[in-house]
Amino acid sequence: METNLALNMAHLGAGLAIGFGAIGAGLGIGFATKGLMDAVSRQPEVAGKAFGFFLLGAALSEACALYAFVVAMQLLGK
Amino acid sequence: MSEIGHWIWTKTLGENSFTFNLDTIFTMWFAMIVLIVVAFIATRRLSLVPGKFQAVCENILKFFWGTMDTMMPQGARKHVPLVASLFLFILFANLMGQLPLRIIHLQQGELASPTNDINLTAALAIIVLVYYVGAGIKAKKGKFLLHEVSFVGIVMMLVELLEMVTRPLSLAIRLFANVFAGEILVTLMLGACAYFAPLPIMFFEILVAFIQATVFMMLTIAYISSATNESH
Repeated sequence: METNLALNMAHLGAGLAIGFGAIGAGLGIGFATKGLMDAVSRQPEVAGKAFGFFLLGAALSEACALYAFVVAMQLLGK
Repeated sequence: MSEIGHWIWTKTLGENSFTFNLDTIFTMWFAMIVLIVVAFIATRRLSLVPGKFQAVCENILKFFWGTMDTMMPQGARKHVPLVASLFLFILFANLMGQLPLRIIHLQQGELASPTNDINLTAALAIIVLVYYVGAGIKAKKGKFLLHEVSFVGIVMMLVELLEMVTRPLSLAIRLFANVFAGEILVTLMLGACAYFAPLPIMFFEILVAFIQATVFMMLTIAYISSATNESH
């Protein structure tokens, strides 16, 4: 089987991109959950409102992993 | 990769050639027609004592008024038309991906949600950019970018000019990537265990549709608010 260095490197880069991107998003969602837990355990009556903001923040930090996903798909599509 | 899987139709006019993603156009018009028909029916024969349908529509409008009033200090109501249309359109477009429209076979691509095409989300983001720049210029006149003639003011102006590029870019890619990643995930799960493994992911996609429409709306409101209201 013929090896194509550029293609192999592109696939390696795709894996690295989504892997490193997921680290940041995981940390971000973890911190958001920590904040939600802190707020809810301190003031249980704000749980509903805080959960809405938590979903917003989690979606925003999840988007960072998805930027990496787009880059990875661009690399895989080569 | 983002272009792969769309039904591409190329039209050549003179030296220029235009490319249309036909499946995106079909599904986009489907979502728009649903919205237009609902809005048309809702605004016929309005009565002071609302019926069931009118009450539902009034409550949807009140939801947007409430969100805008809490997010923006003043002059929020006049931006409701854009924000509400964006939210409802993106919500319908995202939810359309869960309809079984894929059984209608096309030459290329498939009838999924139109927001899995970056061209559509980029167009929405550019609409938001033009709108908030226009609203900011209308509200602050010459002080829109340059708040004060000083070193700090010039640095802030440069930062805001940079934001004019990064904000639409992140808006477009966020919405596109969420929907696109969801479809890829469903496809992967379909390969793992057909019909059963994708089901929880598809329920999650319904949640993602709501969240992404909300995120787009909230960011639009935040951008308009930061452009029109005095902050410093």
